[in-house]
Amino acid sequence: MKIAIGGKGGSGKTTIAGTLARVLAARGLPVVALDDDSNPNLALTVGVPAGRAAGLPALPRDLLEERQDAQGQTSLELKIPTDDFIDRYGVPAADNLTLLVMGQPSHGGSG
Amino acid sequence: MRGVLHGLVAETSRIAIVDLEAGLEHLSRGTARHVDTLLVVGEPYFKSLETAHRSFTLARELGIKQTRMVANKVRTSRDEETVREFANRHALDLLSVVPYDTAVTEADERGTALFEHQPDAPSVAAIRRLADRLVEAAP
Repeated sequence: MKIAIGGKGGSGKTTIAGTLARVLAARGLPVVALDDDSNPNLALTVGVPAGRAAGLPALPRDLLEERQDAQGQTSLELKIPTDDFIDRYGVPAADNLTLLVMGQPSHGGSG
Repeated sequence: MRGVLHGLVAETSRIAIVDLEAGLEHLSRGTARHVDTLLVVGEPYFKSLETAHRSFTLARELGIKQTRMVANKVRTSRDEETVREFANRHALDLLSVVPYDTAVTEADERGTALFEHQPDAPSVAAIRRLADRLVEAAP
């Protein structure tokens, strides 16, 4: 299950996202909550105190490798398994729930 | 760099819940490719519902598999009627109605998670039912 939650600022989207993540995790389901907002505040609603949510550490280059697809487009991909990456760079928020903050301003191409 | 992180959503074995940038104009094909459901949160007044409606159109253009609406901060039965009527008229799939709840503001003011502040709050109960429906609908 891969769910994205959007809406205008002030609509309460972050409260719904964070609480939904907590509800599912409390049922014993493993959940990763990803904050893609450039003004990240999902941390609080999943239960991570502000001080511990300073952001995702910079990705070490040696974890990434450049790959080329059939159309000649290059993309950066992780060299380690995704779930290992989440364990290593995520912030534990509650039982079964890890937070990843990805909303730092992106440089150059995004998406 | 963000491409890598969006790829995480697709590749993780876990359930992924992504809190998007505010304002759906930032919605990208990158995000669209990797999620199976987009929830659009709207409030029960015309401008907010119109914005939600536009988000549905944009999501369709981007090829998001499924878009569903969540009405939030619904105070009265009249609010709820407004939302249901709007959703029906525009064929927007209304997944859940979450009531206006003072527990949300209280949790904010205390800097705690709503889920910890008042686990039995009406808004949390509504989000539990929302979770039930998502789990039922999951492939």
